[in-house]
Amino acid sequence: MHPIPRTDRSAAGTGKTPHTSVEFSFDRSWVDELAERAARNGPWDDWTLFQLAVEAERAKLVTSFDELQALRCLPAAFEPMPHQIATARKVLAEMGGRAILADEVGLGKTIEAGLILKEYIVRGLVRRALILVPASLVLQWVRELNQKFGIPAIAQKKAHSWHADFVVASIDTAKREPHRELLLSRDYDMLIVDEAHKLKNKKTSNYQFIQQLRKKYCLLLTATPVQNDMDELYNLITLLKPGQLGGQSEFSANFVADKRLPKNEDRLQEALSAVMIRNRRSDGGIRFTKRFVRNIEVRLSPEEKALYDAVTGFVRQRYDEGGRDLASALSLITLQREVCSSRDAVFLTLFNLFKKTAEDSPLRAKLWELIECIRRVRANSKAEKALELIRGTDGKMIIFTEYRATQEYLLQFLKQHGIIAVPYRGGMNRGKKDWMMDLFRGRARVLVATEAGGEGINLQFCHHVINFDLPWNPMRVEQRIGRVHRLGQTNDVNIYNLYTTGTIEEHILRLLHEKINLFEMVVGELDDILGRLEREDQPLEQRLARLVLEAKGDADIRRGIDALGRSINRLRADAKRPAKPSLDRVLPVFSVVPDGADAAEARP
Amino acid sequence: MNAKQIHRFVERYLEATGCTILEKSPAHFKVKLSPAADRELTNRPYYWSFVDRTGIEPETMTLLLVTDPAKYDAMNGADSAAAQGGRTEGRTEGGAAGATANAADAPKGDQSGAGDGAPSAQANAAPEQAGMAVLSRAFGLAPMNPGVRTPRDDLYFGSRRLEQIFAAARRGGRFVCLFQQPDERALHPYDSHPCTPWLGVNVKVGFVCDLKREEMHAFGVSLATGTVVEQFFDRLQGLRLTPRLPANVHITGASLSIRKAADLIEQALMRKLRACDYGWAAAANERLKEELAQLAHYYEPLIEAADDERKAEIAAQYEARKEEIRWQLKPRVTAEIVNAGLFHLTGLA
Repeated sequence: MHPIPRTDRSAAGTGKTPHTSVEFSFDRSWVDELAERAARNGPWDDWTLFQLAVEAERAKLVTSFDELQALRCLPAAFEPMPHQIATARKVLAEMGGRAILADEVGLGKTIEAGLILKEYIVRGLVRRALILVPASLVLQWVRELNQKFGIPAIAQKKAHSWHADFVVASIDTAKREPHRELLLSRDYDMLIVDEAHKLKNKKTSNYQFIQQLRKKYCLLLTATPVQNDMDELYNLITLLKPGQLGGQSEFSANFVADKRLPKNEDRLQEALSAVMIRNRRSDGGIRFTKRFVRNIEVRLSPEEKALYDAVTGFVRQRYDEGGRDLASALSLITLQREVCSSRDAVFLTLFNLFKKTAEDSPLRAKLWELIECIRRVRANSKAEKALELIRGTDGKMIIFTEYRATQEYLLQFLKQHGIIAVPYRGGMNRGKKDWMMDLFRGRARVLVATEAGGEGINLQFCHHVINFDLPWNPMRVEQRIGRVHRLGQTNDVNIYNLYTTGTIEEHILRLLHEKINLFEMVVGELDDILGRLEREDQPLEQRLARLVLEAKGDADIRRGIDALGRSINRLRADAKRPAKPSLDRVLPVFSVVPDGADAAEARP
Repeated sequence: MNAKQIHRFVERYLEATGCTILEKSPAHFKVKLSPAADRELTNRPYYWSFVDRTGIEPETMTLLLVTDPAKYDAMNGADSAAAQGGRTEGRTEGGAAGATANAADAPKGDQSGAGDGAPSAQANAAPEQAGMAVLSRAFGLAPMNPGVRTPRDDLYFGSRRLEQIFAAARRGGRFVCLFQQPDERALHPYDSHPCTPWLGVNVKVGFVCDLKREEMHAFGVSLATGTVVEQFFDRLQGLRLTPRLPANVHITGASLSIRKAADLIEQALMRKLRACDYGWAAAANERLKEELAQLAHYYEPLIEAADDERKAEIAAQYEARKEEIRWQLKPRVTAEIVNAGLFHLTGLA
C-alpha cells in the first residue's frame, strides 16, 4: 500500500550479486543509446567534455564510508567549529542520519544541520530535502544554506516551489491543504525540523504531520528538548525513532518516577545519547568578542521639545476621548514613538491622520497645530549626534531606525555631509538587498537599515551599531545587535543607543538597559522571558503602551517602568532557577563548548 | 580540487563549449556564454524555448566566475580604492592588466577566440566602467544600472555553480567516437595502419547503506578479440585522438557487438566486486535487523491493543516506518555509467 521509496524504485536489481549480503544493480540504459549512435554514426559528444566528466566524477569520488566529505566542499571563508564538525561526524557514523540536535542556544544548530545535509548531498545520498522551520526563520535558513553550504535551497512561496530539490517552508503552511497532500505523497531523502520542541504533544496536527511524512534521514532541532514533563521527551524521541524508549507504558515504568522526575537516569541517558546530541556552553572562556554599550544622551532643541510635548499631550487626550481602548490607540502609540525618532516620521503619520479626518472635525485644527510645530523644527539633534559619532569612529557603521521616513531623512542628511550611506529595508527585493550589501561592504561607510531589513543579514565585517531609536520590543533590539555581534565577529562590538532626555525614550532605555540588562543577556534567554511575560498577562509592548497612555506624569511612568522591570527580573530568575534540574540532567551532554557569550560588557 | 585545478577545469569547459572569455586572471573569468553553455548554466528554459520557437538571435548571459575569491577580492579591493580616490585611470589600468594577463595566459592556437576576442571587448568595457565611476561619484549612492551588473559566482569545490558545470560536462560528454592518429614518424606513405575498435566505459560503483563509498573503474573491451583491460581511460591519455578517421588508417572488423561487449564489462566488474570487503554490508544488515526489531517491539503491542478503526491506521504507520528503515539501511551496490565511447586504436589489439 505504500509505494517503494524512490531510490529502490530506480535500482532495478538484476538478481545477480557480487555478495549475498547486498543487492546489486548495473545500469545498462547506456548500451542501447551507444549502439544506436554507433549505427547512425553519431551524433557524438565532445572529447574534452568526456574527459572533464571523468575528472569531475573522480574529484567527487567518496573514498571512505566515514570520513567527512563536506569539509572540502565549503567556501573558504566559512569554517565550522570543532563541536559542529564532531556533531556532524557522530550523526553520520553512529546515528545513521536520524538525530535530535539539542545544543544550547547560540552554538549553531543550523550550521550542524547544514553540515550534515551537505555531507549527505555530497555523498549522493540526499537529492531532495524538506526543511520545516518557523515562518520568521525561512529566509534566514535559505541564506545560510545558500551562502555557507552552497546548497541550492529555496523558500517555499508558490505551489510549484515544492518541486524544488531543497525547500525551506514554514511548518504551518506545509501541514495545510493542499500542500499537505502533496508533501505526504512524496519521499524526502532528508527532513529537517527546526524548533522541534513544538512537536512535544502527539495530539497536535504538527506532530501527526511530521509523523506521516516519508523520510530517510531526519534531524530535529531544539534547544529545549524537555521543558515541562517527561512525556514531552518521550514524544519527541518517538517521533524520530519509535521504540527507542520502548512503548509508552514501558517508558513510564522504566524511566518515570513522577511526571517531572526521571528514574534510572543512567539507562535513560544512554538511550537518549543514541539519538540526541547536546553541546553545552561552559562558563568562562571567551570566544564571542566583547560588546560595549554606550547610551548617548541627546538634548532636544526647544522647538523639538515643544513638538514632543504637543504630540504627547495630543496622544493622551485622544486616548482618553477614545474611551481608553488600547486596540484603537495603535496609531497614537506610533505617533508617540515616532516623535522621538524624527520630525519626518511624525509628519507622515500626522498628515495621513489629517487626510483621514472629516473636514468639519475639530480635530483638524489640532492636527494642523501639530504640523505647525513640526514646521518650526529646523534641525534634528539626534541626526547631528549620529554624525558626530560617525566622524569620531573609524570603520563601517550601521544605523538602525524603525521608520522609513527617518531612514530617508538620514540618507539625505548624511549625503549632505559627504558621507556615503546606503539604505536597506525589508521591502527590497533580493537582488537589491544583495547589491546594497555589496555597496556597504565596498565603498559605503554607513548602512541605514529599517527594522524589517534587520532579518537575514549578517554583517560581521562591521562592528559599530547606532540604535537611532529603540524598538519597544526587546527581541528586535537583540536581532539588530545579533546581525553584527555573532560568531565570526572578530572585533569588539560597539553599540550606541541614542536617547532624548525628558522623553519616553529615556524610560524605555532605562527599562531595557538598567532594569532588565538586555544588552548583557545570553542569546535566547530573552525569548524565553518574553514568552513567559506574555503568558502571564500581555506582551511587553502592550504593557508599555498602556503605561505610556495612562500615566499621569513622569513619576507615574517611572513607577510603572520599575514595576515592569521587577516582574521581568522575577521571571528571569524563574527561568534561570533550574526548575527542572532532574529533567535537564538526563540529557546526554556531547561536548562542552568554551564560550563567553555572557561575557558581554556594558558601559553606560 | 584546489583553486588552481578548478581554474583549469573551468577554462577547459568554457573553451570546449565555445564561450567568449572577456576578461581573465589567475583568480577569475568574466565570460560571455555560448548558446550551448547558456542553456546548461543559466537555468532559463522559458527563454530558450522562446528563442527556439521564434528563431530570434539569442542574447546569452555574461558571468563572473571567481575561482580564487581571496585573490580576486584583493585585486578588486585595490581597484575600488583607486576608484574612490577619484582616479578613473585606476579602473582602466586594472582593465588593461586584465587584458595583458589574458593574452599571456590564453592557450595558444585554439579556436575559441579567447586570445583575440578579449582585448577588444576589454577596450569597450573600460570607458563604460570609467563613465560609471563618474556617475557614482556624482550621485553618491552609485545608481548603476543593475542590468549591467554581472552576477558573480565563487567557484569553490562544492559550490552550486561548479556543481552545475560538472553536471553540464557530464551531460555534454556522454558518448564519443574517436580515432587514434598514427605516429607520423613511423608512417610509410603507402602504408595503412590497422585500427582496432574498443569499447571504453567509465563506471562509478557505489557501496551504499545509510552511508556510501565509491569507486571508479574504467574498462575497455576490444571489439575484435574480447580482451578486457582496466584503467582504460588513463591509457587513452597519452594518445592523439581525433573525431575524424585519419588518412592511412583502416579499421579492422569487429567481431563483438556493443551489447556483447557490455556483457563482458559487467562480468569483469562482477569479478572485481566479488573480491571486495562486505563487512560494512553485514554490519548494515545487522543494524537493519535491530531497527526492525525495535519497531516491532513498539508497534506490535500497539496494534494489538488498538480498537478496530485505529488498527489499520497504526498498521499503516508501522509499514511506513519499516519501509523507511529499509530505504535507509539496506545494503546495496550500484554500478552507474559515467560515460562510454568507441575508440579506434592502432597500438592495442
